Amino acid sequence: MKSILQKAAANYGMIGVLLLLCVYFSAMTYTDQSPAGAAGAKQVAAELARLGGAPQVLLVSSDQPEDLEFVTSLAKELPASGSRVVAAARGEPQVAREALQKLAAAGTRLDAIACTQTAGAWLLFADLAVDFPELGSPRLITPRSYRWPNFLKAENLLNIANQIAVIAIMAIGMTLVIVTGGIDLSVGSLLALSAVLAARFIRDEAGGVAASPMGMILACLGAVGACGLVGAFSGWMITRFRIPPFIVTLAMMLVGSGCAFILADGQSIYQLPDSFIWLGRGVCFGGVPNAVVLMFLLYGLAHLVMSRMKAGRYLYAVGGNSEAARLSGVPLTRVLMGAYIVSALLAGLGGVIMASQLKSGSATYGNMYELYVIAAVVVGGTSLSGGEGKMSGTLVGAFTIAVIQNGMNLRNVESYTQKVVLGLVILGAVLFDKMRHRA
Amino acid sequence: MNRKYFLLLACSAGLFSGCQKADETPAAGAAGKSRGLIGVSLLTLDNPFFKVIGDTISSEGAKLGYQAVVVSGDKDVAKQGNQIKDFIVKKVSAIVLSPCDSKSIIPVIQEANAAGIPVFTVDIPCNEPGVKIVTQVATDNYGGGKEAGRAMIEALGEAGGKIAVLHLKQAESCLLRVKGFTEVIAEHNAAGKGMVEIVTELESGGAKDLGYKAAEDAVQAHPDLRGIFAINDPAALGARAALEKAGKAEQIRIVGFDGQPEGKQAIKDGRIYADPIQFPEKMGVQIVDAIVRHSKGETLPAQMLIPTTLYRQADALKDPSLK
Repeated sequence: MKSILQKAAANYGMIGVLLLLCVYFSAMTYTDQSPAGAAGAKQVAAELARLGGAPQVLLVSSDQPEDLEFVTSLAKELPASGSRVVAAARGEPQVAREALQKLAAAGTRLDAIACTQTAGAWLLFADLAVDFPELGSPRLITPRSYRWPNFLKAENLLNIANQIAVIAIMAIGMTLVIVTGGIDLSVGSLLALSAVLAARFIRDEAGGVAASPMGMILACLGAVGACGLVGAFSGWMITRFRIPPFIVTLAMMLVGSGCAFILADGQSIYQLPDSFIWLGRGVCFGGVPNAVVLMFLLYGLAHLVMSRMKAGRYLYAVGGNSEAARLSGVPLTRVLMGAYIVSALLAGLGGVIMASQLKSGSATYGNMYELYVIAAVVVGGTSLSGGEGKMSGTLVGAFTIAVIQNGMNLRNVESYTQKVVLGLVILGAVLFDKMRHRA
Repeated sequence: MNRKYFLLLACSAGLFSGCQKADETPAAGAAGKSRGLIGVSLLTLDNPFFKVIGDTISSEGAKLGYQAVVVSGDKDVAKQGNQIKDFIVKKVSAIVLSPCDSKSIIPVIQEANAAGIPVFTVDIPCNEPGVKIVTQVATDNYGGGKEAGRAMIEALGEAGGKIAVLHLKQAESCLLRVKGFTEVIAEHNAAGKGMVEIVTELESGGAKDLGYKAAEDAVQAHPDLRGIFAINDPAALGARAALEKAGKAEQIRIVGFDGQPEGKQAIKDGRIYADPIQFPEKMGVQIVDAIVRHSKGETLPAQMLIPTTLYRQADALKDPSLK
């Protein structure tokens, strides 16, 4: 029994930590939620029916789609219950005030104001008796709230995945590099370089706001390709001249960031077509963001390469003992070059995704990302001394970081404290991993 | 070994429970019940100016029953975007931000607009098409620049002389400051007495180190320089250090901008002649007031400007906040 537990801990330790974090944040963000749309409308209609008589009702909501659904279904339900809708206000509090003024001027008696939870909190309705005595004393009726963790809302879970997609994708390349016993500090700068290049290519070459999809794809491929060249250069310096990867990629980090600032002229480049946001903010089936789908596809592919293909075994061999690997016929130079090129390409892809998410390219993107990416890999159980690590672990590591950041934001933890907690959690995760290994 | 796991888990549980303070105290304001959350994401919290804005929104909001969450965008627009998205998930009643990048933040503000959450900007505007901002609260930088111009004329006296401007051209606010400043100088010169001539306009980055270099260069190029207008306190303090090194501190008068504690202290010590000072507290109060008025359904102007006040050595000597 004990050995099964230990085995489970050894294989799924980090997943356990991730799940614990999820449970913790779910419990901590357990708050009142308001039913929206048709469900909310049903509740309010029932409440109005209980009022009796033939109440005169004002409908209030914002103009977002979910609230409009609330209003339209309510308008359909109400006549059946005998209520009469005297007016409807959709939009800002100001619109509602105007509606109230109009009703007051016309001397209409108002029995109830039916509104969404959000609109119900408007201060406008707090002083109704003082501001609009002519209306009588209308009752404010909102859908009754139920309790559910903010953290576990589908919207938030997608949010987390979307927030971490860029870092997670870059972490794939970083895992390859770290498995070979190296490190790549240039990924954050390459992200910025790629975002700026993609935005510039689209603005200057592909026709700016009128760019065609083909033009945009070529621009993005160009940007990613340029990053690949930088990665190839790093790999060449490391393999040909035996300069430690830390130094080479540190230098390329400065070069990349500097080039990004020069190319962007210190500004953000925003003359991009609206359709450019497809990659970063578009969604496909079930509302899953495209960037998240891309992330999972890349992880699937990387997992296959690492566990089933020769290239994967070479990477582990080089990281485990490069001399032994070389003697047994592993093409050392090619393997190392490959790892740095892939890392740079994926950083470039991250830059394109971020440019798409923010619909602009700026040299300030990606600041400190290399550290988050390395943290994701290390939290995922990959050893910094090389030769060991799994793609699935890295994905879990990336999600752990995202969940902590998101959870703390939802819990209103102040930014400085967030940094302290994140740092300690990274340390704790690695410590946990070490102890697990000893066990 | 198993005991060690538990120890570690217990430690991490303790770690998290340490940061629960914010949520545990439900805001009990004047009305006795919570009005909701205000999500605030500022450019940075390293700068005391923004720190004061954030703190004032928290304290002023609490009085009216709002709870404020203040986070720092750390000048990283992607980070700020994530913070705003988390605000949207939390369904805050209002979002206040000073954009880290007015262009890149557009899609995120649009998301907040689509979620029906009113967005307010403070200090840094976002006047882009396609976004809905309820109102923008900022310092009247143009008026402040005029005050700085008058202070410079006063500092130079009847003799007038050559002056340099230490600029920060990327910032809209600084362009306005310099515009007001040069207009006042031009008006003064039109009167024909004690001519003040702007001989050079140098980039200062709004920072001490670059302000230092720019002032050094200005003094090299114009040995008879008599005044420097720096667009903020750090640049002014950097310039002052350069003048002290060059032995020209007595000859050249400096007018700064901001009124940060360090700048005020320098005015008290006579190292800077005067500052048009900004009022971050007033900006915080104004923002909360705007949120309340919007929620009551009032129409707000697109921009609410807070005037600056000129702050000289005499004011500094009376200032209780300086020791």
